[in-house]
Amino acid sequence: MATYEISKQRAQELAKKVATSKDVIRDALERFGPEASAVTWTGGKDSTLNLWLIRQVCVEENLPLPHIITIDEGDAFTEITDLLIRLSRDWHITLEWLCNVDVLRACQSKLGGEVKVADLNGRNQQELARIEFEAPAFPFEAESYAGNHLMKTVPLNQFIEEKTITALFMAVRWDEHPARKDDTYLTEKEAGELSPAHTRIAPILHFTERDVWDTTFLHHLPYCSLYEIGYRSLGVRSTSNPLAAGVAAWDQDLEHTIERGGRRQDKEKAMERLRKLGYM
Amino acid sequence: MHNVVLLTIDTLRQDAVGCYRRDGHEEDKSLTPFIDSVAAEAIRFTGMQAVGPYTQASFPGILTSSYYLDWGRQKMCPKERTLISEVALRAGLTTAGIHSNPYISAFFGWRRGWDYFYDSMEEEVTDEVPYVTGDVINRKVARWLEGHTAGGNSAPFFLWVHYMDVHEPYVPTEDYLARVDPTLSLSPEAMMTLFRDVLLARKVDDREKVAQLRALYRAKVGQVDDYTKELVHLLQEAGVWEETSFILTSDHGDEFAEHGGLSHDGKFYRELVTVPCLIRAPHQTEAGVSDTVVSNLDLPPTICHVAGIPIPDTFQGRSLLPLDRYEAGPCFGEAMDKVGAHEAKDNVPTYYCQQGPCKVIYREREDRWDGYNLAEDPAEQEPRGMDTPAFEALQALLRPRLRRWEKD
Repeated sequence: MATYEISKQRAQELAKKVATSKDVIRDALERFGPEASAVTWTGGKDSTLNLWLIRQVCVEENLPLPHIITIDEGDAFTEITDLLIRLSRDWHITLEWLCNVDVLRACQSKLGGEVKVADLNGRNQQELARIEFEAPAFPFEAESYAGNHLMKTVPLNQFIEEKTITALFMAVRWDEHPARKDDTYLTEKEAGELSPAHTRIAPILHFTERDVWDTTFLHHLPYCSLYEIGYRSLGVRSTSNPLAAGVAAWDQDLEHTIERGGRRQDKEKAMERLRKLGYM
Repeated sequence: MHNVVLLTIDTLRQDAVGCYRRDGHEEDKSLTPFIDSVAAEAIRFTGMQAVGPYTQASFPGILTSSYYLDWGRQKMCPKERTLISEVALRAGLTTAGIHSNPYISAFFGWRRGWDYFYDSMEEEVTDEVPYVTGDVINRKVARWLEGHTAGGNSAPFFLWVHYMDVHEPYVPTEDYLARVDPTLSLSPEAMMTLFRDVLLARKVDDREKVAQLRALYRAKVGQVDDYTKELVHLLQEAGVWEETSFILTSDHGDEFAEHGGLSHDGKFYRELVTVPCLIRAPHQTEAGVSDTVVSNLDLPPTICHVAGIPIPDTFQGRSLLPLDRYEAGPCFGEAMDKVGAHEAKDNVPTYYCQQGPCKVIYREREDRWDGYNLAEDPAEQEPRGMDTPAFEALQALLRPRLRRWEKD
């Protein structure tokens, strides 16, 4: 960290990128208002940068922070949880922890344990019907498509509905994978059966993976220690693997290796292929 | 233990393979001269039935010797399935799977048991060719083989390769199209228009357009034959071909309006579920032709047999070899009755059972039982009711299988 050097020219480039993000954030907060906005924060490097930028804008504009939420999928790295707790305290953030407790209860929080659909509450059962999941049970593990949907999507939709959130700030980037290349800063999400209409805002779309690390070091932002030992991307514990064990994330060949290569295949990639093959 | 190579070719119709041409059509130029040459050294099965008419419904048979809906309809590979890769790995073979089909990717849970697994989901593809082509797949195979055989290593392996090149959208290059129909000239844009406006829409009323689609499909078949040749040459150059059992099959075929549709939907006609299957195992069996009606869920036990490893109880099929000890029985299959690109929420199951030349198809949607006598009606154009003992017997075999996953 002491040896991470950023040239003056690079600092100027990054300042421009930060300014663009702040413009997006400022306009969105003006349009939707902080009370009706929420920011998802995973503790990963992208969402921490995203949160910091939003916080900067709020301080500059004298606005209260939007809702800051994190989703506990039941399989978190302790290092990430520690970071979330520590940073909420340091940055005076009231972090709202969302969790689909019903699912955890149905399998006694056991990873790999079986969840019987009949044991779940009405909303969870509806969500499973929505993704056309018809089996009577599923294992509680990261590879379980049904489990993943319930742990990730349901708590978020419920929060949006209950707090009447109209704007959701997310930390996605164009260079995360090719399917994102046409994403825009604001995307209107239509109302679904179980989630109301809302707008998704992506303030750091134009940041590359390298930009995120450089900005993190330039502004001395905190990051999870797992990145130091080789993790490039941090999802749930059981399916995130260090890409180059022992080599810090920022020292890896970011331009030529795949950031999410240590994670299980993205749903989006598979879906895009299926669509091109005429299946969707 | 012995090496086994399983080559599956997506969407390859049995009748697109030259050596399967029906009587009276031998003078038609074969699209697959190389595969034909392999068939000459193999057992060629004319009665191989897939357990499903599309990839998700057929691969449970090919790789796990189980049926698509055994544990209900699930997007991910159920943990109860035992993959042939897991069996081979546990027995001590090195396993490798190299392909480009999203339905059998790591995301959907099919990575289990493979020492080396390449599903190409990280690669960028085009709309015209939305998969990694056979030549690139072959290069991956070559790299893997090189690594595996380095230093004179002769440890046995089980290699599975899958080609997507015949799958729609059919956008062949000019040279392959010219081999099939030198008079047909279409730009890639025109081919994509056919794909979108005709194939995706499942519109069969314009017979000329359907014929064009079929020509484009046949052109791709020609190309995949060349990729197969390249693969076998790789194995020969690596010095493993002689000791390796080679199994070639397809997961399903493709329809060209034989039953009012296109592509591969939830139907069980022969153009979809009767697939090519060759087994070349020179040290274990002689070349020949078998007309026995067999199921692709017999493939995992067969792979165990030729590899020389025990067959697990969880496999529902039985080894096709030795051929004279194979007990023929009814073959089953099931799928959701999807039609068209979009899976409808209200898809319901459809099933079939075939024994010898008699076949029965049940569609839950209309609660309809159709019987076909394939000896008399090979094109399956004259459905019959359950009005003969043969059909009644198949119906009796099929009934207990309907929605069986809901019964426990």
